[in-house]
Amino acid sequence: MATSKVEGSSSLRHAFGGVLSVFILLLIGVVAFSIRLFSVIKYESVIHEFDPYFNYRVTQFLSKNGIYDFWNWFDDRTWYPLGRVIGGTVYPGLTLTAGTMWKLANSLNIPLSVETVCVFTAPIFSAFAAWATYLLTKEVKGTGAGITAAAILAMVPSYISRSVAGSYDNEAVAIFALIFTFYLYIKTLNTGSLFYATLNSLAYFYMVCSWGGYTFIINLIPMHVLLCIVTGRYSSRLYIAYAPLVVLGTLLAALVPVVGFNAVMTSEHFGSFLVFIIIHVVALVYYIKGILTPRLFKVATTLVLTVGIAVCAVVVAILVALVASSPTKGWSGRSLSLLDPTYASKYIPIIASVSEHQPPTWPSYFMDINVLAFLVPAGIVACFLPLSDASSFAVLYLVTSVYFSGVMVRLMLVLAPAACIMSGIALSEAFGVLTRSMKFHITKYFECSHTEAPAKLGESTSTESSAPLENMTKSDTTEKPEVARKEKVARRKQKKEKELTENAHVKPVSAKKEKRPLVLPLEASIVSVFLLIVLGGLYVLHCVWAAAEAYSAPSIVLTSHSHDGLHVFDDFREAYAWLRHNTEVDDKVASWWDYGYQTTAMANRTVIVDNNTWNNTHIATVGTAMSSPEKAAWEIFNSLDVKYVLVVFGGLVGYPSDDINKFLWMVRIGGGVFPHIKEADYLKDGQYRVDAQATHTMLNCLMYKLSYYRFVETDGKGFDRVRRYEIGKKHFKLTHFEEVFTTHHWMVRIYKLKPQKNRIRGKSRKSKLGSKSTSSKSGGMTHKNPWN
Amino acid sequence: MAKGTNDAQLLVQSLRKAYAATPTSLKIIDLYVVYAVATALIQVAYMAMVGSFPFNSFLSGVLSCVGTAVLAVCLRIQVNKDNKEFKDLPPERAFADFVLCNLVLHLVIMNFLG
Repeated sequence: MATSKVEGSSSLRHAFGGVLSVFILLLIGVVAFSIRLFSVIKYESVIHEFDPYFNYRVTQFLSKNGIYDFWNWFDDRTWYPLGRVIGGTVYPGLTLTAGTMWKLANSLNIPLSVETVCVFTAPIFSAFAAWATYLLTKEVKGTGAGITAAAILAMVPSYISRSVAGSYDNEAVAIFALIFTFYLYIKTLNTGSLFYATLNSLAYFYMVCSWGGYTFIINLIPMHVLLCIVTGRYSSRLYIAYAPLVVLGTLLAALVPVVGFNAVMTSEHFGSFLVFIIIHVVALVYYIKGILTPRLFKVATTLVLTVGIAVCAVVVAILVALVASSPTKGWSGRSLSLLDPTYASKYIPIIASVSEHQPPTWPSYFMDINVLAFLVPAGIVACFLPLSDASSFAVLYLVTSVYFSGVMVRLMLVLAPAACIMSGIALSEAFGVLTRSMKFHITKYFECSHTEAPAKLGESTSTESSAPLENMTKSDTTEKPEVARKEKVARRKQKKEKELTENAHVKPVSAKKEKRPLVLPLEASIVSVFLLIVLGGLYVLHCVWAAAEAYSAPSIVLTSHSHDGLHVFDDFREAYAWLRHNTEVDDKVASWWDYGYQTTAMANRTVIVDNNTWNNTHIATVGTAMSSPEKAAWEIFNSLDVKYVLVVFGGLVGYPSDDINKFLWMVRIGGGVFPHIKEADYLKDGQYRVDAQATHTMLNCLMYKLSYYRFVETDGKGFDRVRRYEIGKKHFKLTHFEEVFTTHHWMVRIYKLKPQKNRIRGKSRKSKLGSKSTSSKSGGMTHKNPWN
Repeated sequence: MAKGTNDAQLLVQSLRKAYAATPTSLKIIDLYVVYAVATALIQVAYMAMVGSFPFNSFLSGVLSCVGTAVLAVCLRIQVNKDNKEFKDLPPERAFADFVLCNLVLHLVIMNFLG
């Protein structure tokens, strides 16, 4: 009767805990959504940056024309005159997701525009990602760790930076797909159910549709399988988790046009095939071991080894010959630059020039994952007590993502879920031990005559005194007798708990218990719980600050605070709107590739190069034109049918990411293809300058002229606020271009190519205007043809 | 050398004896696996003779055979009564999962076959 009462109360507690967990998860979703809305509140509901504008344009096309036209779309408004096959070169997951949500909302008569759906896709999917983290960590360590990890992921700044409202980029849905695929893999590994293996393959398909980073999954999972085999943890569940995924996953990956046959032919996938073969060999070995006697098994192994090694050597030789015959050993340029960080700067300057591809600095780790950097080592230790397949996967995921985040700052995003999982585990274990100690001491204080009170400590506990609002309130139910030494080590890693170093003794409870709960003294526990809550509070403060101040800038609208209030710089949209309303529909606009997506999306004009950067020679052509003197540049642009040239100039207001600062990259990329452009010609004594000491080539190139034309009229001296000196050549006229528009703060300047001059034979004189024969010898003797 | 061949013969005999002891249902699944792998090998041989022009068709054909073989092996693992990890799993559930996974696999194959 007493036991049934105990069981009834514990099942009631379980039910109450379940409802509380659901409520907490709902709140976590709301937090994840709301913390990403700062840019909508501070600015407006607008798409940010550059790449999201392309995705937005594609989604608009999808919503207007339907999926078949989208799948077969050939875009002729970009990369003129080459065009771009959108259907075959874009990862369709994001656009299809947003398109589906828009269609669903409109079919329910909720009139959301495509732009609204695009802006808010990322916050919605970050809430889903937090729930997926809960599921994944629950499989690794238990419900308490799951809720903590979900709460941490909802706010981690590195994930916020790529998924604010308005950042409509692939990572917005890809991170959710990544975590969900890992969850289903671990679930299959834990249960051995083929149903979850099927779901795992489908989730992997969604990931392949969404992001090029899917190669991380298809290499991490084989690595983990290999780790399990090597450490003797092979089981039939491992086979069920891995083998169907490889076959179904490869097929599904080949279905996506952007991947196509790369799914079986590039080195990024060979690892999975190799481990597929290995796991079959291992499975066969285990099966034969099961049905033979040990002596015969030894005979079998010697026989197989002698034959097998010979066959293996032949196969490996063939494979090596195949792989070595390709110059990049079968890897794509981007993957190779991840494995060898110096590869891009030597061979592919375009990849090296993107600022997101630079290695991160140490402070950026603290900025992006903050307190988690301290909790992660504690989490790794907690994963080893005890080590299971799932926790070994979590450790492997963390280690590989730390390596990749060190290569490229953009991949800090892949580190964020791993760090959150580890920190969730660490915090949950810490809270479990501390609250258990507190409860033990408190019950012992109140019922010191009862000998069965300590027995309850081994079961599930719920904390009543220390329930932080954003952290979990229920600790894990399956407690194991943990070693006091390891607890001490785990807690030493947290820098706040200095008081614990002298209080590490164990209190045995009573003689007749076999399980000794290892507890800490009451005061130490209370102080530690309080300090952990303060740690969590500081983390939340930092995350909210980072979201509000650092990562919410839409970068298409700039603001600055000065003594006379807030200035808003809306020059980009002003320029694109001018282009949209004042030029013909078929006019071509040339600019540096950064602005290509925005120009096609907002100004709706054909561009020469854009952010997809798939054709290096075309970009080098534009770069050469920008670095050449006016006449040569006019020739190049005229051959491309360009009508308007757009440059971004920040010298009047101090906007540092303008084209003059990017100019050396244009020279390098142009010089990589056209050898007459040499970087040394533009540098004076190895220094890049545009003042009076600059070289003649620099002062006469098109970029200088288009940026600084009439700049001296603004303040009489031509003081450049970004470079912080006066410019070199102040008074000059343009011969082959005419200025048609400059925005309010001079940030975007648009020029038109002058039609071909009526020339006289011989040297052309500047003041001659339209008085003679129209025999235009475009490749005349006096003109230097840049194409020879 | 003679001892080697003697040992090999002994090995093969004991393997055959141990395998004969497995239940008939599992032997049927094993036969299905052998059939699927043989079909895959025939397709590869055909590709080696004729060339791989519609590569997607070749890929989907071979991967469908390999896929059903893998799924049949998973079914065998789950249905095998000697396997202690799956003693709570009713064989009907295992078969239902097998059918579901095969449905997804063949849906993808039909799409990719061209």
